[in-house]
Amino acid sequence: MSENKGLYGIWLAVLGIAIVVGLITAVKLFSQGHGLFNANDVLIWTLPLGVYIYLALASSGLTLLAAIPLVFGVRKYEPFAKRLVFLAIATLVGAFVSIGLELGSVFHMIYIMLSPNFSSPIWWMGAIYSVELAVLLVKFWKMHTGDWHSGFSKFLGTASFILALAAPLMIGSVFGITESRVTYFGPVMSIYCLLMAFLSGTALFILYSLVVNKVTGNGVPAELYDEVALIFTYAAGVVAVFTVLKYAIESATVVPEFLVYRQFEHAFGTVGVFHTEVLLGLFLPFVLLLIRSVRKAAGGKIVASALILIGTLLMHMEILLAGQSHPVGPKAEQFPGFISYFPSIWEILVFVFALAIMLLLYTLGERYLKLTEAPE
Amino acid sequence: MPRYAMVIDLQRCVGCGACSIACRNENNVPEGIYWSNKITETVGTFPNVRYHYIPTLCNHCEYAPCVRGCPTKAMHKLENGITMHDPKKCIGCKYCEFNCPYGVIYFNWEAPHKFWRDKRVEIKDGTASPSELVKEVGGKAVPYYNPERDATLPGIRPKGVVEKCTFCDHRVNLGELPRCVEACPADARIFGDISDPKSDISALLGKFRPFRLREQIGTNPHVFYIRGYNPAAYQPTKGGV
Ligand code: SF4
Ligand code: SF4
Repeated sequence: MSENKGLYGIWLAVLGIAIVVGLITAVKLFSQGHGLFNANDVLIWTLPLGVYIYLALASSGLTLLAAIPLVFGVRKYEPFAKRLVFLAIATLVGAFVSIGLELGSVFHMIYIMLSPNFSSPIWWMGAIYSVELAVLLVKFWKMHTGDWHSGFSKFLGTASFILALAAPLMIGSVFGITESRVTYFGPVMSIYCLLMAFLSGTALFILYSLVVNKVTGNGVPAELYDEVALIFTYAAGVVAVFTVLKYAIESATVVPEFLVYRQFEHAFGTVGVFHTEVLLGLFLPFVLLLIRSVRKAAGGKIVASALILIGTLLMHMEILLAGQSHPVGPKAEQFPGFISYFPSIWEILVFVFALAIMLLLYTLGERYLKLTEAPE
Repeated sequence: MPRYAMVIDLQRCVGCGACSIACRNENNVPEGIYWSNKITETVGTFPNVRYHYIPTLCNHCEYAPCVRGCPTKAMHKLENGITMHDPKKCIGCKYCEFNCPYGVIYFNWEAPHKFWRDKRVEIKDGTASPSELVKEVGGKAVPYYNPERDATLPGIRPKGVVEKCTFCDHRVNLGELPRCVEACPADARIFGDISDPKSDISALLGKFRPFRLREQIGTNPHVFYIRGYNPAAYQPTKGGV
């Protein structure tokens, strides 16, 4: 017990230090500007935006998973629901930290409300996620005070589900309606983001729950995790098929933008014809999950979900970077034909800050908010 | 209400870059940022090579993706067709820059005019530092600061927002030509009201077959290019045999 207490203290101290460093990073960014990032007028969006996409989508995935008990009434999953909603909130807060530090003039944000542009997918994305956060907070409060099944509480569950469906589609369409960047154009990115949201949200939930289980020991029956692992396997399978399809089309076409894109696509290297992050972060865990004994073992679930969590982040980063790898129009006069990228320390610290805030919320929530509580 | 547009005559353009220099002075454009720019291309294999030079600027597109995507309407259309930016409303999301098919939007990654903020002197007690020089000549941020720019846009845009060509709306409002048009020694830039069939640009667009950049995207750019500089001749033969 005292050993656990000691570890808890160290954990909180680590998070505390990360948050202090994050705050210093924020001050530095607001005073010196985003020249601190290894971004430029060609590679416009880098790691902090990738982290935002990743965490925001994971939050939507967690909310979608929570809909199984909260919207579709599968009551045996109710012991998961409160934790899922809480994780969705905390993960979304992490996403907001990352995007907040990515924006050049975060203090002008008031104009999102004063001067909204309804034709902007960025506007819709911001609006949907803001409303989603509010709805999830109220829903959580309702559950926390024992109101799971009132009409209003159910409405909140349904609303959060619909918002969690819409938000990934909207993130995808930020890219999907960019005519100037053919490799993103079309509905593919929206579908991809929705699928990735569900996959990463499920991975996050499994990894988190099993780690917490190991550290604290909680009462949720192990079979339930086996069932979630099965859902997880399906999700990984769907993303794997979609990814193969996407790559097949991309590698078959001779549309010039795709030819350029292909030259940069291997940001994390390849193994044979496959990109490393897809192979190790998607196909490998999918195959592992297909093996019944691995899927049933806690260790197997932890490894598969951890691989997928890392894999999905890298897959988002690769798509983000590859579509911006070469200068548009006259910018080719000023920049090299291909831009290479490695995040600056400040970008990494934005990532650390977002994660630390998210993990601190997880930790405090787990300790004080009875996250495995379910109605009688 | 006029609908402003520009024709660039590539036969007249000598590729001197006077437009870009004039633009920097007029709009107090910081280092690393280009409101007026160019696309250059070398084609062929030596000794049969040619160099092409296409001046570029914001196309003030009718269906401007930068405007459509801006979450706060910081990037917006004026009634006269100019695509204008309001830094006060700009949250620095850079989506307009991501969206512009023509690579004409830049972000202020740091406080602008870094060079001129430098307090270091080259030779102690011998030369002035750049920031002293700015002070001495009574400039603001740069020694050649143009206060007229302030009429419709902050003369110096702060860090954290984007910026781009405005067709010199502050001059056009006064009945003057954009500075790049004024500065072009070859009169290769013709500016005017495309909605007026009697304007010079309407006449030119009828006389020559213009092209525009990435027309197929459907943005309806309002910078048109006509002709091309090519004095080369070649011997007539039957099929080159
Ligand atoms: S050229 Fe780019 S910045 Fe100018 S109006 Fe068109 S899309 Fe917008
Ligand atoms: S960077 Fe500014 S002008 Fe551009 S889309 Fe974002 S808010 Fe609008």
